[in-house]
Amino acid sequence: MLEEKQDTVPWWKKANRGFTYLIRRNRTLLVFAVFLAVMPFWAKPLSAPLGIDLIFVMRLVGVFTIAAVGLNLLMGYAGQVSLGQGAFFGIGAYTSAILTVKAGFPVWLGIIMAIIISALIGLLVAPILRLKGHYLAMATLGLGIIAFVFFREMTWLTGGNEGIRSIPGLALPGIGVTSRRGEFYFVWVIALIILALCANLARSRVGRAIRALHQSEVAAEAMGVNVAGSKIRIFMLSAALGGLAGGLFAHLQGFIDPNMFSITLSISLVTMVVVGGMESIWGAVAGAGVITFLPKIVEALPKWLGEVPKWVERYSNYEGIIFGLILILTMIFMPSGITRGLSDVVRYRRSPFINPFRKKVVE
Amino acid sequence: MGFNIIYNSTGIINFAQGEFCMFGGLFAFTFSVSLGLPLPLAVLLAVAVTAVIGGTMERLVVYPLRNANIITAIIATIGVSIFFKSMGRLFWPKEAYKVPEFTGGSFSLPGATVSRQFLWVLGLTVISVLLVYLFFNHTKAGKAMRACSINRQAASLVGINVSRMSLYAFILAAALGGLAGLINAPYASYSIGLFLGIKGFTAAVVGGLGNTFGAVTGGLVLGLLEELIPGFLTVVLGVASGYKDAVAAVLLIVVLLLRPQGILGKGTVEKV
Repeated sequence: MLEEKQDTVPWWKKANRGFTYLIRRNRTLLVFAVFLAVMPFWAKPLSAPLGIDLIFVMRLVGVFTIAAVGLNLLMGYAGQVSLGQGAFFGIGAYTSAILTVKAGFPVWLGIIMAIIISALIGLLVAPILRLKGHYLAMATLGLGIIAFVFFREMTWLTGGNEGIRSIPGLALPGIGVTSRRGEFYFVWVIALIILALCANLARSRVGRAIRALHQSEVAAEAMGVNVAGSKIRIFMLSAALGGLAGGLFAHLQGFIDPNMFSITLSISLVTMVVVGGMESIWGAVAGAGVITFLPKIVEALPKWLGEVPKWVERYSNYEGIIFGLILILTMIFMPSGITRGLSDVVRYRRSPFINPFRKKVVE
Repeated sequence: MGFNIIYNSTGIINFAQGEFCMFGGLFAFTFSVSLGLPLPLAVLLAVAVTAVIGGTMERLVVYPLRNANIITAIIATIGVSIFFKSMGRLFWPKEAYKVPEFTGGSFSLPGATVSRQFLWVLGLTVISVLLVYLFFNHTKAGKAMRACSINRQAASLVGINVSRMSLYAFILAAALGGLAGLINAPYASYSIGLFLGIKGFTAAVVGGLGNTFGAVTGGLVLGLLEELIPGFLTVVLGVASGYKDAVAAVLLIVVLLLRPQGILGKGTVEKV
């Protein structure tokens, strides 16, 4: 009887219900999409007085968001520390660059190949996922170094230190994307799709499984989660997203060289995830935004302040000091990241900072 | 070795260890060349200053994070590493500095020429290994530190001040790192930081984490392989020797996968 009753609901009502549900679940995403869609209109007049080309930087934020979301799934949700995401980013960039420049592939196919190759290499190195904690962190860092050395030394394929130049810009079959605004929309449409997919993945059965193995692998295994398999799959997904981001990056920049994909890149990707907030899709967006804009702001700072002491102006590396300090201070005072801190303020009217120096009664 | 000490007593992998080496070299340069102090005094001062930096870092960064998770602590030490490196650049803007050799020149053995500096490196390494060994096995503080590495709660129950031990560990590790930096590299430069950190960790892992002699063995094995493998590659396979930089990383991964307890380490059984 009950089943018959359900069947009387017309299909269009069901579809509508599903649609409403989908919108309600991804409300933040939609708001963000609208924000981005109108961004070029207000960002352009704002760019000149700030001394930062907002749209130009936002394209990169989009690219790094994709890589950071992948890393966040791996680190935040599955709890597997990876300091080697930069390797997959580089593999993606080189794959797409080599295929389009040397083999004459169309750009979209190059990027798809970048995703596939990165995922396959992720599968190839998956045995290191047997390691835990520090060991995993160091082994992935080792991967990053190995990849970097290969980019530099395989001169016949990668061009060595010279890198690869004149990489074609982003394009779909039939449509070339030439303007900055076009690139901005191109990157962010992909980034938003990835964000939506990852947000839904995190809420799904798979998402619950990987969160379970973060808490306790033994307990997850006991509940019937295929721990080794889940880890490998999530690692491959993370690698594939890294590759996608790398592919987009290569076509945005137009040239690549090995030093772009050194360990520093892996570390800044990890920083994006941690500063933004782990175990949160929005953490990746916030982290990518903050970490990408930070150096630009530091660069533009003298323009805002006007006069700067000579020795500060001459010294070009103070970006490192500020970056390091922000990293340390965030870890100490806001260890769960910006997004969590902000939601604490809004939701519980609680300070986003913690006091780590407070003594506990029982240590 | 510094890695080992810190890991032993705090369970933290310190990515700023390489920067301790950098500071050791740079301070030795400042004291001996710029200020014109006699070399032994300059060396002692450089090691002392580096030790103070290590202690300060422990109090300001590591102590607040003692209850945080692994990732947070790792990121924080990476932050410290970046910060230190930029500070170094601020005060020592040139790319490389030459610390004078302890005794210049070289002498010939049958079949090989050995520089005196090499003997100093060897001698100081042996001495510091012996001292660390004696410290960990025959002094109260050293034994307390080992107790912390085995079980922090239990150590705290028998009256050991765990956080103070962590402070001591950082001071000791920084001092050793500084010493390593200034004897190992007559040329103190910046690129050494992170790469040196990975090499140090590899040496510690190859020898077995938490084993002083293991770290030395690991260091020797790594050093030998780094010299031998690129030679082998160039001669036999005919590829560029630039792959040398990847040797440490490959070795690290292989050892971690095949023999995670290290060459000298004893096997452990993981309990659920």
